[in-house]
Amino acid sequence: MNNTSANILDIKNIEVRYDNVILALHDVSLKVPKGKVVALLGANGAGKSTTLKAVSTMLASERGKVTNGSIEYDGNAIDKQTPSQMVGLGMVQVLEGRRCFGHLTVEENIISGAYSRKLSKGDINQELEKIYTYFIRLKERRKSQAAFTSGGEQQMIAVARAMMAKPKMLLLDEPTMGLAPQLVAEIFNIVKELNTKEGVSILLAEQNTNVALKNSDYGYIIETGRVMLDGTAESLLNDDKVKELYLGISKKGRKNFRDVLKEESLTKKRSN
Amino acid sequence: MVEELLFFMEVLVGGLLAGTMYSLVALGFVLIFKASATFNFSQGAMVFFSVLAFCGFMQDFNIPFIPAFILAALLMVVVGLCTERLVLRPLMNASEDTVLMATIGLGYVLEGLAQAAWGVEVRRLDLGIGDFPVPWIADNLKLFISALDITAGLVAAIMIISLFLLFKYTKIGLGLRAVADDPGAASSIGIPLKHIMLLVWSAAGVVALVAGCMWGARAGVQFALVDLALKALPVLIIGGFSSIPGAIIGGLIIGAVEKVLEVYIGPFFGGAIEGWAPYVLAIFFLLYRPEGLFGEKIIRRV
Repeated sequence: MNNTSANILDIKNIEVRYDNVILALHDVSLKVPKGKVVALLGANGAGKSTTLKAVSTMLASERGKVTNGSIEYDGNAIDKQTPSQMVGLGMVQVLEGRRCFGHLTVEENIISGAYSRKLSKGDINQELEKIYTYFIRLKERRKSQAAFTSGGEQQMIAVARAMMAKPKMLLLDEPTMGLAPQLVAEIFNIVKELNTKEGVSILLAEQNTNVALKNSDYGYIIETGRVMLDGTAESLLNDDKVKELYLGISKKGRKNFRDVLKEESLTKKRSN
Repeated sequence: MVEELLFFMEVLVGGLLAGTMYSLVALGFVLIFKASATFNFSQGAMVFFSVLAFCGFMQDFNIPFIPAFILAALLMVVVGLCTERLVLRPLMNASEDTVLMATIGLGYVLEGLAQAAWGVEVRRLDLGIGDFPVPWIADNLKLFISALDITAGLVAAIMIISLFLLFKYTKIGLGLRAVADDPGAASSIGIPLKHIMLLVWSAAGVVALVAGCMWGARAGVQFALVDLALKALPVLIIGGFSSIPGAIIGGLIIGAVEKVLEVYIGPFFGGAIEGWAPYVLAIFFLLYRPEGLFGEKIIRRV
């Protein structure tokens, strides 16, 4: 085993197909350094979720397959592992859309995250208390049925549940989807805190480019299954193209996506 | 007047207790429905297979009652293991309908295996509990209630309590409820689906064995047990497919209603309405409360 590498995750030129036909990722390479937060950005259908699922080996359950390239996690190649083996190795994915166990209570949901670990009742309670220090809101609602909690709370449950597995690395798939700005900030604060205090490395798929980059160390932008641009979060935030296309800010002031597209087609026509 | 009331009580209690026999069969369906959201059509064959094997062990190999029961239970665990490995795992990512069809096939395989191994003739199963009124109750309460019915009631009560404790307070129970809610999310946090499936199918097999013993003692161990298991369908519709208490209460309702209707309304239809009355009741439930009395409501946030 080679644990001396500075990267906990190293994806090299992967290609992913669904049903052996549909090409979802053409060529994606990315690295997550140990203890860092890396943002994977892009629009709907760009391949963010597919990339995360390739890493957590959840692809198989959707009839997807890595057909080319390699993924290395913590010094080991990932290919034939099952999702539960990956959890055992310390890699946990928080799926898109929160996916709480609706009929279980909040606390049961969180405890279920420790399923893969052999813990006594006392140890579980200790872990639970530690988790609640990050998710204070959940402690108040521990006895309610998860399906009746708010969207923000459900997202917190999903992250808390994943943390109970004691991961070295978290894969977060659109954790802020459909949440109010205040909650988005709250979720990101918790994620940041988990990263610094617990030392968890994080790969974060987001559409919310601005907030994601402000809370990450490094960023990759993918479009139609290819990495288009990557760099430190700071450099991406100051990049003109990113500003214009993903942040809706141009030199002339605020702009929306439609304007950018219109402008582009105009320049294309002119050059033709 | 007192005579009539006593007679009604007798019909009602007899029906309720007979209903627990339906509950036992329905319990097996609920277990599998909870974990894989599939109606297990092979449950009837499992009942037949398990109790026939039990009889075979006792009558062909002269194994005493308790070891034979344990052997039959172990055999059902092996059946669960093979089902998980040979049927469910290859169909892991297939749709629920595909799994449903596979359970029909599995049913035929089990029926064939059972008959190939133990023969086709009707066997008598003697549990040492007679299917006749208990004298003490008949003398003191003036009710004629079968000892077998009372036993079935007790057994059903023990099974429901132990299954409830298993699901509510053990780790594997928590895993099972998580899988029942969202198998994808459960596997994303490291709950191994194959262990849960193995547990559920083995448990359903053992429940089938218990139900088979009760029915076999009453009606003889024969092929008709396979179809009898379908009586569990209205029980499940009324109780809810995903609820263990629902299976029990549903069985009680079906048992009581069919006996009471048979006695008081049956004559107007020329008798034998027991066979179809439960299905009429089930249709009303499908129309007005499709999730059943205790089925998990489809929770939707608005």
